[in-house]
Amino acid sequence: MTQETLAEAPYLDVADPTFSIRSQAVLEAREASWYARTNYGIAVLRYDDVMKLLRHPKLRQGSYRWPELSGVHGGLFARWWGAMLLSQEGETHSRLRRMANPAFSPKLITELRPKFQALANKLIDGFAAKGECDFIAEFTEPYATGVICDLLGLPFETWRELADIAAEMGLALGVTFKQDLATVEAATARLLKYAEDLVALKRANPSDDFVGMLVQANADKSQLSDQELLDMIVLAIFGGIDTTRNQLGLAMATFIEHPEQWALLAEQPDLARAAVEEVMRVRPTVTWVTREATEDFTYNDLPIKAGTTIHLFSQSATSDPAVFPEPGFDITAERKPHFGFGGGAHHCLGHFIARGDMTEALKLLAQRLKNPRFNGEVKWLADSGNTGAITLPIAFDPA
Amino acid sequence: MKVDVDMSICLLHGQCVIAAPQVFSFDDDGGLVWVAEVDEAQRADVEAAADACPEQAILLG
Repeated sequence: MTQETLAEAPYLDVADPTFSIRSQAVLEAREASWYARTNYGIAVLRYDDVMKLLRHPKLRQGSYRWPELSGVHGGLFARWWGAMLLSQEGETHSRLRRMANPAFSPKLITELRPKFQALANKLIDGFAAKGECDFIAEFTEPYATGVICDLLGLPFETWRELADIAAEMGLALGVTFKQDLATVEAATARLLKYAEDLVALKRANPSDDFVGMLVQANADKSQLSDQELLDMIVLAIFGGIDTTRNQLGLAMATFIEHPEQWALLAEQPDLARAAVEEVMRVRPTVTWVTREATEDFTYNDLPIKAGTTIHLFSQSATSDPAVFPEPGFDITAERKPHFGFGGGAHHCLGHFIARGDMTEALKLLAQRLKNPRFNGEVKWLADSGNTGAITLPIAFDPA
Repeated sequence: MKVDVDMSICLLHGQCVIAAPQVFSFDDDGGLVWVAEVDEAQRADVEAAADACPEQAILLG
């Protein structure tokens, strides 16, 4: 394929605040071409291509230069961002991932499951009798953060403070990062201090829980230095809150639009695990993941230059009619894998925890909240990048 | 110790290659290859790889 045909590929304005990953423009682009041109590099639209490129050896994770591209050079956040697991590649990435893996093992989920259930029930108890709630403020945010508290061995009451710190630090991912720098830096300092205190506590009282496992990995400092240990804990907190909060909100919104599926889940709680996968296929919070070409190469006859940004449109890929001929939301359907946790070397480290906590939450919510419906205006983040509801007022019939 | 991978569910993320590079690797075509029989010294690494596999595709026997 020549440069001429590159110019002919569909164009998607992903910087437009009203751009939607679920828009007709994206559907038409996917129909016409496996990729589209965008403001920043290309967007890959179809299932098979996203699957291949997620783990392509000539691509690296694409957001590692984000602070620099936002005009932020130096400071606590930029240092952390550049050093942490997601921004690393090659041998350093492999070493950090090996050190982190035991703390994120699927074996730990069995012990955590009763805690997830207790947390979900406690939160539902708080609003069940009134038959309505803001599902984000009263369930998904305290739940996602409460799970992190459980992981870190912090009392549930710290959730609000942790959620606020993560939200302030999260301003770094927005377009106003540079203006918000002072807030971001203060939040990063507080989260690092949290991590330091947790590590000190765990060194004094060794254990096999989440932080305990990371502290054990830090015993050989050539494998995981003190700073890398703190950076990893900060990543676990920062990466675990917004994602789960948003994904559970998207789950509720999707089920409200498919009441028969919610009733089915209430009847058959064992479908909860599959329900998490199906929600993440049709409404992932991470609507795309980003890669960057490390050298010139050719893919599908398209020459891709080193440094090119490649958006892998997970949402578009997992509704691709070529692979999902009946793409409607169905928690009983056998499906090919979704890309809601990314893939390849950077596959989400916390996915066993996320899958486990969302499964338990959906199971209990379906049992206790009958006929959920929208109950006022839902405020949404942009329907691109990392999406979800900011407020989600719902009404329901308490079981 | 026997090592096998269920290639019907493997998605080639390569987490096993990261966790146990002496046992799992990618060939030049990007396919996964592994040592089918490993000694006890590699048990910890192989178990770590099986744990880390996002698809839980690694079978140990």
